[in-house]
Amino acid sequence: MDRRETIKNILLGSIGSSVLLESCVSSLDNKVLDKIWEYQYGRTSEEKKRDDKFLNSRFFSETELQTIEKIANIILPPNELGDINDAGVVELFEFIAKDWSTPAHNNYGEKVLRRGLIVFDELCIQKFGLKLLDCSKSQVKVLFDEISYENKSLKDQKESVKLFATYRGMIVTGYFTSEIGIKDLGYKGNTPNVWNGVPSEVLEQYIGIVSYDKEWIDKCVDQSKRGDIAKWDDEGNLLT
Amino acid sequence: MEIINNSPKYDVIVVGSGAGGGMATKILSDAGLKIALVEAGPYFDPANPDQMTQMKWPWESPRRGSGTTRAFGDFHMSYGHWKIEGEPYTIEKETNFRWWRSRMLGGRTNHWGRISLRFGPKDFKSKDYDGLGENWPISYDDIKPYYDKLDKLIGVFGTKENIFNEPDGFFLPPPKPRLHELFYIKGARKSGVTVIPSRLSILTKRINNTRGVCFYCGQCDRSCSAYADFSSSSCYVIPSLKGGMVDLYTNSMVVEVKTDKNGRATGVSYINKENGREYSIRGKVVVLAASACSSARILLNSKSKAHPDGLGNSSNLIGKYLHDSTGTGRSVFIPDLINRKTYNEDGVGGMHVYSPWWLDNKKLDFPRGYHIEIGRSFTMPEYGFGYNPNELNRFFGVKVGGYGDKLREDVKKYYGSTIGLSGRGEAIPRKDNYCEIDPDTKDKWGIPVLKFRYKWSDYEIKQVKHMHDTFEELAYNMGGIALGNKPTKEQNYGISAPGEIIHEVGTTRMGDDPYNSVVNKYERLHDVDNVYVVDGGPFVSQADKNPTWTIMALSWRTSEYIIDQLKKQNI
Repeated sequence: MDRRETIKNILLGSIGSSVLLESCVSSLDNKVLDKIWEYQYGRTSEEKKRDDKFLNSRFFSETELQTIEKIANIILPPNELGDINDAGVVELFEFIAKDWSTPAHNNYGEKVLRRGLIVFDELCIQKFGLKLLDCSKSQVKVLFDEISYENKSLKDQKESVKLFATYRGMIVTGYFTSEIGIKDLGYKGNTPNVWNGVPSEVLEQYIGIVSYDKEWIDKCVDQSKRGDIAKWDDEGNLLT
Repeated sequence: MEIINNSPKYDVIVVGSGAGGGMATKILSDAGLKIALVEAGPYFDPANPDQMTQMKWPWESPRRGSGTTRAFGDFHMSYGHWKIEGEPYTIEKETNFRWWRSRMLGGRTNHWGRISLRFGPKDFKSKDYDGLGENWPISYDDIKPYYDKLDKLIGVFGTKENIFNEPDGFFLPPPKPRLHELFYIKGARKSGVTVIPSRLSILTKRINNTRGVCFYCGQCDRSCSAYADFSSSSCYVIPSLKGGMVDLYTNSMVVEVKTDKNGRATGVSYINKENGREYSIRGKVVVLAASACSSARILLNSKSKAHPDGLGNSSNLIGKYLHDSTGTGRSVFIPDLINRKTYNEDGVGGMHVYSPWWLDNKKLDFPRGYHIEIGRSFTMPEYGFGYNPNELNRFFGVKVGGYGDKLREDVKKYYGSTIGLSGRGEAIPRKDNYCEIDPDTKDKWGIPVLKFRYKWSDYEIKQVKHMHDTFEELAYNMGGIALGNKPTKEQNYGISAPGEIIHEVGTTRMGDDPYNSVVNKYERLHDVDNVYVVDGGPFVSQADKNPTWTIMALSWRTSEYIIDQLKKQNI
């Protein structure tokens, strides 16, 4: 049984005979439900309520989500590991739009994320007479070529340039915080291990730049004795 | 409101379960005393799968870890940060303070950096060196035995260095430096900046049969499910609960210390946050460890005929001399580290090397020192990672921005090539930096809140300017480039807002003179013989060290004193 199934069973088990709750559950969009079960990350009950509220509501329309997906696939094209959907980037936009839609966040969802779609559509209509979603990929690229670089000589960057940078930032961060993105990046951690210094084949690349010095390393932990209970003499010298 | 009183009478009531309160609970209950431990937040155990965030991946959060509900990100283990809904504080105009509160068993010890530094001999007698502030009424020799015991009980890695004001202890061996830390060592040595293995309370070696050994996930800020890092809940409270001498009251927000007609404490009253009702607990001794500002608030709110200005406040100094560490930071780009081969470099949850204060203030235009912490960037991505995917292109004359596959390549190219430097320094405590009760504002429980008034002086601002000068020299000497512009004079050289370093102390300061201090050298109120404060409040000065180790050493010493006083039936 995979983890999601286990969690599902635990949840349904705990719901038990409560007809009310079960009917609630069955009426939900299955995709949304799966998301609630996917996100088990040590929330307090208040935090969970907040997450559940946003996971159960919609901010963007279907057309807007398709537009975001199209933009994201052009900013980061699919590769052998997968595409933007595999990385959950569109879902991240949808969630952040609600999560940051408070006055404290200056209504980021409306004022920044939705505003971006409006501005990009307007520019596409000006150029090609079509909304972004109806443009060809090469037409969209013509637009992106114009707005994806800052013009340092301009004191105030154009709104479209700023919004593009925001979209690009969210797409890249969404990709590299996903399972496929982390694989692509090559991050090897978040797993139990025993750190015993920089691997020698890596250190070899830095000969003449940096290296371990013996005096320092001699003071460091002998990992073969990490399980021995520490004992000291009266002077604080480790005996074990 | 009716106050419900149905508790047994305890030997000691401890308010707050963080560093000071957890320590006191352990020592007092081990001595066979009956303890009520009162915590404003919920029960927390990092090994509880419903609460743990350790080893989670960013995609397990729908916001990829961003800091919407937790200031340092979704996986950070603190319930509560600088803001808590329904529990405001106010700030005097044109001043600033940010007040961190972790409302949970173990308090802030679940998220801190585990930097476990002893204060040195100089730190207790700074006034003798520069004439500023006040000396502590105790010296390093008074507290040394407790530091020693603490090292052995809890475990802290480090090395013997024989530096006068950075006393050595009973250390576990440190982990080997990471690659970017070798660059730092090189830069520091060229710059004449002392650099030594860091001193963190993380178990690189087994210390007993109940706590695990570090498995190098680098996530101590999420609190370790194997108890291989120190937190008060994991190492003091949870084990103490098994002894049967501790009754734990969670979600219980203490309102005030109750006193009899002679002004002696009889117990505390608290709001049960689950039903909003007020209860009282009786005890022979009250030990406050709610955090420097929370304990000050409780005392100031404990008004009676005998103590019209608040309990223990005859000196009118409760809340005064509030001070936090100074801080500022800078990122450094190291071109030698682009296109790194990736491998697991998580290490322990913090730096493996650091720089203690290395200069003589006589030659400088500011008093007191700072230490330098080294931050990682070869870490697990969270929200914000890669947001400006190729801004470092500008150092190579290549255009910044664009889109397409090259962004992927740029992120990978620069991954792990920047490091963070942070300075943490000592401020001069001042009477006119303080917290007091705001008579016009109450929190959602009906308890009057704190109002803060805090301004940095030229001493602190010149100190952080020196930090930036040092960061730039270090960057150059490690073959790197300090990123961003150096903050200007108008920006106060980028000094952190007071409270942001989360080392606030001093609100119930210690001294021999009852007119010039709130507690005596055993952390007992001068005015009342059965109320103690064992958090950061009694600090006369917060050295350029993190306060936790000293909070705990003092709390241990105070606990032994309380046991002795109870035995002698003095209280």
